[in-house]
Amino acid sequence: MIRLAWRNLTQNPARLLISLGGVSVALVLMLTLDAIFTGMEQRVTAFIDRSGADIFVSQQDVRNMHMASSSLARGQQARVKSVAGVASVTPILYVTNPILAGKDRSLAYIIGVPSDAKAGGPWEIESGREDPGAGGVVLDVGVAAKAGIGLGGEVEILGDTFEVVGLSHGTASMAGSVAFISLDDFADLRQDSDTVSFLLVETAPGEAPEQVAAGIEARVRDVTAMTRQEFARQERKVVRDMSTDILAIMNIVGFLIGLAVMALTVYTGTLSRRAEYGVLKALGARNGKLAATVVWQAVISVSLGFLIALILTSLLTVATPLASASLRLVIGLPSVAKVVVTSLVIAGVASLLPIWQMARLDPATVFRRR
Amino acid sequence: MLMARRNLGRDRTRLLLNIAGVALAILLILLLTGIREGMFRQITSYLDRTPGSLLVSQGGVENLLSVTSLLPAGATARVQGTRGVESVIPILSQYTILDLHGRKQAAYLIGYVPARGGGPWRLAAGRAPRADDEAVFDRVLAERHDLALGDRVDVMGRTLEVVGLSEGTTSWMTSFFFLRKSAVESLVRLPGATSFLLVTTDEGASVDDVRSRLASLDGVDVHTKGEIAANDRKLFARYFSAPVTLMAAIAALVGALVVGLVIYTATVERQRDFGVLKAIGAPNRSLYLVVVAQSLIASLGGVVAGSVLAIGARAGIMALRPQFLIVLEPADFVLALVVGLGIAMVAGLYPARRIGGLAPAEVFRR
Repeated sequence: MIRLAWRNLTQNPARLLISLGGVSVALVLMLTLDAIFTGMEQRVTAFIDRSGADIFVSQQDVRNMHMASSSLARGQQARVKSVAGVASVTPILYVTNPILAGKDRSLAYIIGVPSDAKAGGPWEIESGREDPGAGGVVLDVGVAAKAGIGLGGEVEILGDTFEVVGLSHGTASMAGSVAFISLDDFADLRQDSDTVSFLLVETAPGEAPEQVAAGIEARVRDVTAMTRQEFARQERKVVRDMSTDILAIMNIVGFLIGLAVMALTVYTGTLSRRAEYGVLKALGARNGKLAATVVWQAVISVSLGFLIALILTSLLTVATPLASASLRLVIGLPSVAKVVVTSLVIAGVASLLPIWQMARLDPATVFRRR
Repeated sequence: MLMARRNLGRDRTRLLLNIAGVALAILLILLLTGIREGMFRQITSYLDRTPGSLLVSQGGVENLLSVTSLLPAGATARVQGTRGVESVIPILSQYTILDLHGRKQAAYLIGYVPARGGGPWRLAAGRAPRADDEAVFDRVLAERHDLALGDRVDVMGRTLEVVGLSEGTTSWMTSFFFLRKSAVESLVRLPGATSFLLVTTDEGASVDDVRSRLASLDGVDVHTKGEIAANDRKLFARYFSAPVTLMAAIAALVGALVVGLVIYTATVERQRDFGVLKAIGAPNRSLYLVVVAQSLIASLGGVVAGSVLAIGARAGIMALRPQFLIVLEPADFVLALVVGLGIAMVAGLYPARRIGGLAPAEVFRR
């Protein structure tokens, strides 16, 4: 049956091409969109992952950075520092705002760090210095390149002009880049030196961050303390929960497109072989066997379409970072599993109509029609 | 035309599949473009429904959403005192991530002064906040998370009571919620802070002149609400418009493939008949017309079916998931018709070429 299905498929290369093209395009869409959001999930935590902090302390009930805001009184820093197991506390200020570089405008996490920061500064410097200092900014190297500026260039942040004193790597994502200015400059821009956004805590050697975080929440009022891993998990959840609806829509659209192409190619493929199937029936072939041939045709087409889609999406994951440093595609196993299941459902549903037609086929009629 | 109709009508299942293929493409195109348009309208709903023609922000800020703006101290009084300004509405706003029922929900928090405006423009239930521990939540957001009037929600260390539910303040990605401005000042620990000023100009005053005067104030940027709305749309379009447009284009391509395949199969099956027609002197042009007419009939049927399905699907989706706004304008149906005709033309090309190249004697041999 598999051989017959394969022959049926390959006898009409144009139809096979349309079938594979349509299904693979639909599956590529599903895989790519998942890959974009998985990539965003991983990139959105770049600052948290590479900050060097073991614990993030924020305003009570604030469990995210992305699209969130946290305000802590400066006095909280000393209270957190006094908790057992805390080695260092670095205050940072943070907002999401545009950076104006020449005519280029891009969104960025603006991080204000003190000059003696133990955590929270740029983690990989391409050129220039790590400490932004007064009037300076450490900018993502990709953002700077796109704007055509380098060290010594000027950018506008929150209406003030800053000189580029350092260029950092790994600080860009689709949601924006990360730019570092001094904590004092940031406080001046906000006209407020009484609050900070987050406290970045390093734990003493041998101390468990979970226990230290619990200790901070127990001893310091109105704060939420989370280990770096937990904070990053919460951040990834924002991207996941926010993208659920758009992914669901696109998955349904991809499914419908794949189904339409597959149903039609299997149907027309079966229809054009009606006479041959009639002969097979006349020779005693059972409906079950003929149905299996149709199903195999669909399964082979969908499997080939899936493989093409996987190869194309993998190529995209390699090509996109070359075209855009901020866009990173990551193909996750759950995504592949979902697309495999979708493909099989498409193959199954697409076979239904031809199977039904074949079951109704009267062997005698085909000879008449001939 | 008669021959085209007969060719199509001989196999009703195939005709139905053909119409279904185009209908699916049209349905997807209409829904996807409708979702995109709805998304844009939801993004700018606050700017569209609040008073004022100009928006004053912190210097360098050209968006309302996704950015933080803090105006210099005293900016409100200076703007209010500018010639040509009739009224000023101060708001303190920012994005917030709410943890509701184990899900992260992005919501745009607006702090406003009820006596001056800038709050919810329509209440579905309840009232505006009178105290700093009271809030108005978007009705759809509240329903999605089982929140009702009188319920309490923890936001940034404060417990807020839901006293009102607003209408028309939702979108599938984020929704609005409203507090008194003094409450937000306290939440963000910035007493007296203001993010934006919604400025209404005097009747008869030139908006451009007022804008120029306001732009000369230190530390602020001035934009028309239309410019800010366009910037916000551009910002969100960057993330979501491309995939939606791509999907719509692929849906159109698939529609063309579906019709093309059916017409191709129907043409190949009738190859002998076409050969006979050629042998008795039918010119190629007539045969092309038959093939194109087949495509047109199938495509137009699909356009009608797809449009009806889209209207039904829109109603169904918006009833089941009220956070989605799907906008279908008459122009969209015209677009659907154009796409349908385009699909018919593209789909008919290859079969028509095949007929054109057919040698009459050949078909008898076959």
